[in-house]
Amino acid sequence: MLSHDFSLSYVIENSSRTTPVLFLLAGAWAALEGSIVLWGLVLAALVYLVARSVSAGDRLGLAALSVMGVVSVFWFGLMATVSNPFQVCTELVGGSCAATSWLPFVDSVAPADGLGANPLLQNHILMAIHPPMLYVGYVGFTAPFAFAIAAMIRGEQGSVWLERTRRWSVIAWAFLGFGMLLGAWWSYEVLGWGSYWAWDPVENAALLPWLAATAFIHSAVVQRRRGMLQAWNLILIIVTFSLTILGTFLTRSGTIISVHSFTQSDVGPLLLGFLLIVVVGSLLLFASRAQLLSSAARLDSLASREGAFLLNNLILTVFGLAILMGTLYPVALEAMGRARVSVGTPYYNRVTLPIAALLLLAMGVGSITPYRSARWDVVWPRIAAPLAVGLVVGAVSVLFGVDSVPVVILIVLGGFVIATILEEFRRQTGKVDARRTTAFAKVLRRDPGYWGGQIAHIGVALLAVGIAASSGLASRDQVRLTAGSSATVEGYCIVYEEATSRMEPNRAVVGAVISLRNIDCTGEIETLEPVFNSYARPPAVATPAVHTGLTEDVFVALATVPGDDVVLDVMVFPLMWVLWAGGLVMVGGGMWAVFARKPQRKAVIRA
Amino acid sequence: MPSAVKRLVGWGMAIVSLIIIVVGLLPVSEEADPDQRRLELSQRIACPWCDGQSLAESDSQVAQDLVVILREKIEAGWTDAQIYDYFASSYGEQVLLDPPLSGWGVALWALPAPALVVGGAVIWRRQRT
Repeated sequence: MLSHDFSLSYVIENSSRTTPVLFLLAGAWAALEGSIVLWGLVLAALVYLVARSVSAGDRLGLAALSVMGVVSVFWFGLMATVSNPFQVCTELVGGSCAATSWLPFVDSVAPADGLGANPLLQNHILMAIHPPMLYVGYVGFTAPFAFAIAAMIRGEQGSVWLERTRRWSVIAWAFLGFGMLLGAWWSYEVLGWGSYWAWDPVENAALLPWLAATAFIHSAVVQRRRGMLQAWNLILIIVTFSLTILGTFLTRSGTIISVHSFTQSDVGPLLLGFLLIVVVGSLLLFASRAQLLSSAARLDSLASREGAFLLNNLILTVFGLAILMGTLYPVALEAMGRARVSVGTPYYNRVTLPIAALLLLAMGVGSITPYRSARWDVVWPRIAAPLAVGLVVGAVSVLFGVDSVPVVILIVLGGFVIATILEEFRRQTGKVDARRTTAFAKVLRRDPGYWGGQIAHIGVALLAVGIAASSGLASRDQVRLTAGSSATVEGYCIVYEEATSRMEPNRAVVGAVISLRNIDCTGEIETLEPVFNSYARPPAVATPAVHTGLTEDVFVALATVPGDDVVLDVMVFPLMWVLWAGGLVMVGGGMWAVFARKPQRKAVIRA
Repeated sequence: MPSAVKRLVGWGMAIVSLIIIVVGLLPVSEEADPDQRRLELSQRIACPWCDGQSLAESDSQVAQDLVVILREKIEAGWTDAQIYDYFASSYGEQVLLDPPLSGWGVALWALPAPALVVGGAVIWRRQRT
């Protein structure tokens, strides 16, 4: 790639001599074959790291490593067969490769230059970061999955496999979340897909394993603390791992229409086969070991922390189920030979709202509920004040003009969750006998698992409020402006100053200089320049310009090529920064839970 | 007693807030703003050739042309149902992003809620035994 070896068809199709070095590197995972190589690389790194923690007598670890070996064989098999990145080009038609061969030494033809990278994918530096993050997330779940399978094969009871892979689960979870967050930001800020999340099948494919993993992380706590839910945890990790493969299958096989369908090929059947083997094999194994796995401990009472965890799992599972159904429904109908249908944003939004509300409620109450059995007179004082805070925050938002019922509900619940956590934090710091600042640090350090989780919860609450506000209160307008004229849109004055155009090494850029001013057209807030980028190959990519403000974002995109006049799409998204901040806080919480932990006893628990 | 006062203030604030919220959200004026309606409908109808993006999301020419048609229909006073029917019959059922509540579509809407109930029941029963 970097050396412009245009006898390889992958290099022809994904780069050209003018593609900048950064995107030559990123082009290594821009298309299917390359992304499988990236997957393989990450997997290899994971196997190496896990192998370092396994010593010779460690039966469970060795068994887990062999499971990971089997998984690796599959991926490297893909790489060597149907998705070979080093296919040589043997026949050229109009600059692209008409026939290829996987034999390395056949007579090859090499064009003077490649077709260039996919325009969508060479538009921004995030192309170099977003996929690897996601893949670390996807691949990371291989470790807990492998240990789970190993534990089942050896018929081992107990939580050893959970203890040993806790880190991997949380790291993979955090990376997957971060990857999605970057993707959302990218699609919002750069690609002009019009929103940060579109319930696109590929986005769902990343969200599904993430939800399953979220459920897994929570129920794993119950097993570690109370020895319950053994079987359920095994099921959850199997589901998580299967969903990562299902996601790859949906993305890469062309079964589903998606804005992410950058490449398609015949890896589909193989992935589907692998998925079936994983699901059927794991479940058979699970069934044959079922008698060993039922947990001894029973729930003392549903009104307890364990009960709240169960509720969390139930809600997350149903959420995942609803999304999975929405994603697969069109495929299923089509397979039955019926007309093509779509399931889009309205469906998901309607399903998500009640689930999000329930989840927030469970999150606020659950995390301050004691284990075993909780009495109302213990729980009530801990949630009374936060409930009041939530209501006050909601009332303030109504006074500020928020008129959407779902948004206010989520704001009340979000405020409640955050207040609950802060109140609990205050209670715990009050117990510590030290100066204020050191007490803060002490409490956070004493139980990083719990407090990391709580930080993540604050992130989730912010995320929910940000999502609700930015989607429920968004407004949008279209204006046509001639050069030098202005218009009042959505409470702002917008002036079209001039059209611009310039050449950059790999693209031609045409744009419009827009001055965003306050409503009476006097003070300038920001100069914005939404543009179209044209690359060596079509289509041109529009990049919007966004003004980020404390209360709302103003998003300006070109609807026509700017000249004497221009048509602009102007959108206003309230509280966008809360969404991004929430996402970052959530990932940060996960990282705190992993890395603030005191180094555990070095001696590996031998099975 | 200060703690009793505190409690009273807390309750007072909570109740006042609740009243503000309820009163503030009650008068849902049904002014059918055509721009808002166009935005909402364009989020529920897909652009037929844009990888499943809605009319609102897609910046393609097709999508923009269809938004113009949508605007004409709204100005002509068509109801939402008439507009859905028109787009579904012209471009196929796949342009409806909000699956209609008929036939198999019912399953899509009807499964998640019972799943929640059944799941809850299973947990409840297991805990009892």
